[in-house]
Amino acid sequence: MNGNIPALFRTYQPRETPIECTIWEAARATSAAPTVFKRIEIGRGKQPFIDGGMGRNNPSLLVLEEAKKLFGARQLGCLVSIGTGQADIISIQKPGLFQQIIPTNIISALRLMTTDCEETHEEALKRFASLPNTYFRLNVEYGMEGIQLSEWEKLSSVEAHTVQYMKREEVDKKLTSLVAAIRAPRGQLTIEQLGMDKHLVNLNCDLTLLLSFSWASKQICTTHQKEQALSISSCIICWTNRHSQ
Amino acid sequence: MDVDKAIENYDDLTEKVFSDQKWWGDGKFKATKLEGVIKSAVKDVTGDSESPLVENEEAGFSRT
Repeated sequence: MNGNIPALFRTYQPRETPIECTIWEAARATSAAPTVFKRIEIGRGKQPFIDGGMGRNNPSLLVLEEAKKLFGARQLGCLVSIGTGQADIISIQKPGLFQQIIPTNIISALRLMTTDCEETHEEALKRFASLPNTYFRLNVEYGMEGIQLSEWEKLSSVEAHTVQYMKREEVDKKLTSLVAAIRAPRGQLTIEQLGMDKHLVNLNCDLTLLLSFSWASKQICTTHQKEQALSISSCIICWTNRHSQ
Repeated sequence: MDVDKAIENYDDLTEKVFSDQKWWGDGKFKATKLEGVIKSAVKDVTGDSESPLVENEEAGFSRT
């Protein structure tokens, strides 16, 4: 395993040699965050895997690169990126019981993740700067910072913060454009024309991503499913239904 | 699997997996417990907990 090169688990036949595994193995491999779950060895060569969360939480640019390989000559409809909520760097830095339990290197990794998440988003914004209503990112900005991945009993607060976020005027407007872009995509450029060679090595950061192209109803989804992403998708889907009625 | 079912499964998964913390060994939570919950969710959808990741075009079910 080389931690710098991401392994992509695909549900379709790729051009390169696929990683042969079952659905549960893929799910396990993408959840093997160091210190949370032990690593898993899969495939013929018993290759070890750890979760990409430690360096590649935001796969936006990576999915564009994959789409370029598969459908480079086709037109791009839109790209929707869903975050798991803005982390509060200051609260991570606070010393206390938390730091005694979680090793310091994990804390610096978390800080790095937040920074790199936003960096990937900034990079995507630049690439789509001349293409209005093509790239959308949703990320609950307040309230999620105190909630850790393992705090299952706080799922209702996650939902409440998400609903609050969806009610905001600017988010509501963004959702209106997003739904319009998915329902009636207007291809402006082919994926190849978007030009995505630089900075690809620096991909880092947060979450689940849905890719919607004008020519295909099929969605490409990363296997990360964290609570916030799920509740946002649920809200979006309810919202889409409401608007299409 | 639709979104409502996915949320329901996720709620179930987090409670089962994260309510039991390990005090020694590699990883803070039990990977075997996580594997068990994932396998049962896969079985619900495909009928076989060992279904391969690469989609069979004729299978006709959705994993999204």
